[in-house]
Amino acid sequence: MGRTMILGWCVGLALAAAAIAYPLYANGYYLALGISILYFTILATAWAMFSGPTRYISLATVAFFGLGAYTAAVLGETMPWPVVLLAAAVLGALVAAITGLSTLRLSGIYFVIFSFGLAELIRQLVIWYEVNVHKSVGRYLFSALTQDVLYWQLLGLMTLVFVAGWLLGRSRYGLALRAIGADETAAGHSGIDATRVKLGVFMLSSVFMSVTGAVMAPRWTYIDPSIAFNPMISFQVVIMALLGGAGSLFGPVLGVVPLVLLFEVLTATLPNHFSILLGAIFVLIVMMLPKGVIGLVETWWCAARTDGAAPVRNESGPLLVVDGVGKSFSGLRAVDQVSFEVARGEIVGIIGPNGSGKTTLLNMLSGALLPSSGTIRFGDVMINGLRPYRIARLGLARTFQLVRVMSDLTVAENVAAALLFGAAPPVSGNTTETSRRLLDAVGLGAMRDTPAGELTYIDQKRLELARALALEPRLVLLDEWLAGLNPSELETGIALIAKLRDGGMTIIMVEHVMDAIRALCSHCIVMNGGSVIARGVPDEVLSDPKVVAAYLGDDDA
Amino acid sequence: MLLFDIVLPGLVLGGMYALIALGLTLQYGVARVMNLSYGESLVAAAFGALSLYTGLGLSPLAALLLAVPFAFLLNWLLYRFLLERLMRRGKDRSAQEIDSILVTFGVLFVIQGIMLVAFGGQYYSYSYLSIAVVVLGSTLAVNRLVALLFAAGIGIAVYIALTRTRMGTAARAIAVDANAARLVGIDVSSLSALVFACGGGLVAVGGVLISMFLTFNASMGVVFTMKALVVVIMGGVGNVMGALVAGLILGIVETAVARLVDPGLTLAATYALFLAVLLIRPTGLFGRAPS
Amino acid sequence: MFSANRRTLLRITSLTAMATALGTFTSAADAQEKIRIGYAISKTGPYAGGASITTLPNYELWVKDVNAAGGIKLGDKRLSVEVVEYDDRSSSEEAVKAIERLANQDKVDFIFAPWGTGLNLAVGPTLNRLGYPHLAVTSVTDKAPELAKRWSNATFWLGTSAQISEALAELLGKLKGEGKIGGNIAMVSVADQFGIELAVAGREAFKKAGFTLAYDKTYPLGSQDLQPLLNDAIAAKPDTFIAFSYPPDTIALTEQAQLLKFNPKIFYVGVGTAFPLFKGKFAANSDGVMGIGGWNADSPALKDYLARHKAATGKEPDRWASPITYASLQVLQQAIETVGKVDRAAVAAEIRSGTFDTIIGKVKLKDGLLQEVWSAGQWQNGEFYGLAPTSLPGARAPIMPKPQWQ
Repeated sequence: MGRTMILGWCVGLALAAAAIAYPLYANGYYLALGISILYFTILATAWAMFSGPTRYISLATVAFFGLGAYTAAVLGETMPWPVVLLAAAVLGALVAAITGLSTLRLSGIYFVIFSFGLAELIRQLVIWYEVNVHKSVGRYLFSALTQDVLYWQLLGLMTLVFVAGWLLGRSRYGLALRAIGADETAAGHSGIDATRVKLGVFMLSSVFMSVTGAVMAPRWTYIDPSIAFNPMISFQVVIMALLGGAGSLFGPVLGVVPLVLLFEVLTATLPNHFSILLGAIFVLIVMMLPKGVIGLVETWWCAARTDGAAPVRNESGPLLVVDGVGKSFSGLRAVDQVSFEVARGEIVGIIGPNGSGKTTLLNMLSGALLPSSGTIRFGDVMINGLRPYRIARLGLARTFQLVRVMSDLTVAENVAAALLFGAAPPVSGNTTETSRRLLDAVGLGAMRDTPAGELTYIDQKRLELARALALEPRLVLLDEWLAGLNPSELETGIALIAKLRDGGMTIIMVEHVMDAIRALCSHCIVMNGGSVIARGVPDEVLSDPKVVAAYLGDDDA
Repeated sequence: MLLFDIVLPGLVLGGMYALIALGLTLQYGVARVMNLSYGESLVAAAFGALSLYTGLGLSPLAALLLAVPFAFLLNWLLYRFLLERLMRRGKDRSAQEIDSILVTFGVLFVIQGIMLVAFGGQYYSYSYLSIAVVVLGSTLAVNRLVALLFAAGIGIAVYIALTRTRMGTAARAIAVDANAARLVGIDVSSLSALVFACGGGLVAVGGVLISMFLTFNASMGVVFTMKALVVVIMGGVGNVMGALVAGLILGIVETAVARLVDPGLTLAATYALFLAVLLIRPTGLFGRAPS
Repeated sequence: MFSANRRTLLRITSLTAMATALGTFTSAADAQEKIRIGYAISKTGPYAGGASITTLPNYELWVKDVNAAGGIKLGDKRLSVEVVEYDDRSSSEEAVKAIERLANQDKVDFIFAPWGTGLNLAVGPTLNRLGYPHLAVTSVTDKAPELAKRWSNATFWLGTSAQISEALAELLGKLKGEGKIGGNIAMVSVADQFGIELAVAGREAFKKAGFTLAYDKTYPLGSQDLQPLLNDAIAAKPDTFIAFSYPPDTIALTEQAQLLKFNPKIFYVGVGTAFPLFKGKFAANSDGVMGIGGWNADSPALKDYLARHKAATGKEPDRWASPITYASLQVLQQAIETVGKVDRAAVAAEIRSGTFDTIIGKVKLKDGLLQEVWSAGQWQNGEFYGLAPTSLPGARAPIMPKPQWQ
């Protein structure tokens, strides 16, 4: 192992030396080729930093690139060059912040189109400004910086982008990003403030793009909006990054190099048929990739957490007080004036026929829905209206009716996400220790490195529970966690829940499995049509004629 | 009156936008293919009409009878041999969209390359029905008016087909959830191919009609793709009436800004409007959130 | 494992590409048996329209003519011309890279310029550094004198935007003095560098000539409907309508003006009026329309050039930059023949200082700029005659007022 490492390092250093000394031995053409590869690598890697893990395919690359180019064009002849680059970086971050704040709520294809529209809008605004305020559309930038200096600037920038990407990947924010990309809802319920993470990385990636634009501008001498904001650049960057693999740090460069060279070979040998051949090759490549272009995401190491304050715990009184909570969806009252209390250490059951509002109630407790009326007090904090990640951090965890594991992440990573962003630092040991403990507790110890999407149904449920427990919650909401289990699995499941309660955990279970309710719950409430129709000890409640009628239907109805 | 002078030409311009977007509504909204080569197909149809008109003296309206079935066939082949494989192997909607974006990006280059070899890079233009007609005090060009009428007519026809026929309903089911559609016995792949091909036929209509009054060259495809995308997204993906209305609104806004504010801000205003719609109603004016 | 497959695929592709690239890119340098000329022109992308009308056909025609005559005379030998051609895809980056490729890999003797101001400026510093003569024909910018001073190897052949506007203003001023037109001008310009420069210079020049700009607006590049603009321009009741426009808008404006039955005494549209496309589309209606460019159509040299261009390329040249492009190449040939060897610095100096016989007459550049450049022309009886500057030989009087649209 040691020898391979040393060999690896030697090769790496030799390559680095060759790269740095390149302008000294390459002729003008090869240097130009090297410049092309470098600037596309920077753009593609910066793009993949954000768009890869989050799956938000952004076509706004050229918006930031162009802004950087324009900054250089405007300031290039009056300010010292480092100031120009700094200005480009700041402008890129600013515009990214503004657009990110307004748009990161969009998802899927809408974000793609929006990002494209953004680039066009910025271009039109720049044109309008140039025409009406500056009274001249093109800007001239004469620079004494040679191709060599340009190359070295790009080389430095590329090193920076790789370093930044590597650091990001190692930090908990890298994991958060991938969790968001895998399942944003689950990530939110694991304590991750998705918007802030997305915004931060979006800004970081945009800064690299705008500085690249500023560095490249002097090469073209004349900058006008169609030169600076050329949409082809956005598309090319996306294609290169996706083809090379946007999920890993060095993936994009693997897409950049062959494509740039391919473009070159085609341009040089068959200029008249460049387009046709390029298109045909493209189509061939995409068709031949067996699992589509979204590649598998590589495993990253999780770093230990650094901060997090434990919430003040009020030890007396009920843990959860739900008072008059209701939820209406444009006239449909899904939950109507529900009130109940949950004392510490007890298991409360919520039962009722389908459509009675149970899951809606749970969603309001965990923050996925905003209550239309009423209050929810958890410990001594009013939690109605708080976002899911805040409630998660306060110590209220949940599982989902339709299992939501982050399928591209491994079992260990699913748990790690909650550990790194949840409430308190682990009481004993570090993150890896704690996750091992949790996984053993739910019986998944042997499957740490299996991608969660490959688990069986019961194991995914266990993973969900482990993830919920990783938040070190005071209260766990189980949403039909025992559904779909065979008798022996059911036994194990019930035993697991009982063990949790014995360890001091407070639990609310929504269930249809009456045996479990009888076995576990100290008391339960019955919902029908959005309201509570009965409450009490399970045996009493389950023989209440009203409850029976609700489940089986009225004879008179 | 100024109001008519803005609204009527605006509707006519918007009719053109809606016309060029109708095909994409079907291809993207229903067949779920983000077809980046859409604009190229439009320009190819325009070239087709030009060749028929200058070579054989065939009127563009008559050329439609040739162009539409031809485009239908080509697009059907494209779907069957290229896109269907991608749709099948994509594990979720986003993977399918990304794959279709990339593959159609390649097709874009192929179509553009063929046009460049056949026609070169220069501008082409011909005039047909370039006659003035006065409607409610505004002067409108007959050829542009024809485009508007076709857009409206086709839009309504497609809407009726999608909502009132069995096949149309099946198509809409596919758009909402292809897997569920399969479960109820809908042959997703052949119906998708059919819808995609219909979209291709609509592109041909758009291309032939706009060639009557626009100047075009082989490199202009991207402009049209983007315009069509904006209209489709603004109107709500998969919603034909939405695309129609969005196109008309864009046309009116552009004309109004040109007359009342500053002609220099027309394109900025359209993009700003589009972005505003996306922010306020992310699923478009008439769309609904995908399942 | 799938990802290993893709990685392998990519690695194989890049290695193959690199190998092919290295193989393709080196080419043996001939002992001087031919003169190698290289150029990268916009065959695709937004500039392809202009390049394929003005520049590429003339490059091809010139090479054909030169080789048909036996080649370029170097000392006592005649060497034929060999061409290396690339597509710059309308991208500044590609254009710069292409120049490096032509100079370092293909090792060409001379390089022709790309199309358009943007690309010529992009390649300017590189051509300057490498020492190639730079015939920047299709680059119209007010900065041309400054650029010619900065790059001693560069020459500019279409004048400046200001010259175009000023010559037009001079022509209009004369007509106003003769009482043929009133003082109202409606002016629209495309929001691109050329359009803006023309408009800025125009505003000053028209004011100095005693005109009022009753309507003065810009419109975005790529606008597809200019009727709203025209309606407002008509409302300003101008005698003169001026549009500093690009080919698609030039055509759209003319077509929509006909639709609206807008018949000002002077109808001047911008780039594209001088293209055969304009005459082809509007036929008899093109008569009387003024635009940028022009030439002395009665000159026998130009008549001959028109015929040769049509025979060789299948289409007519445009009446603005096409003949000038061809003339610039004639200048290059004569400069090479005067110097007697492939000495780029000497050839560049000769281009700047010598006097040459070309299809547009005798050419002698002043400070690297061509002086006799037509600014305004008009279609008269199916030919685009030069009107202004009125001092140029062959300048015709304008047909006034423009005949009504049919």
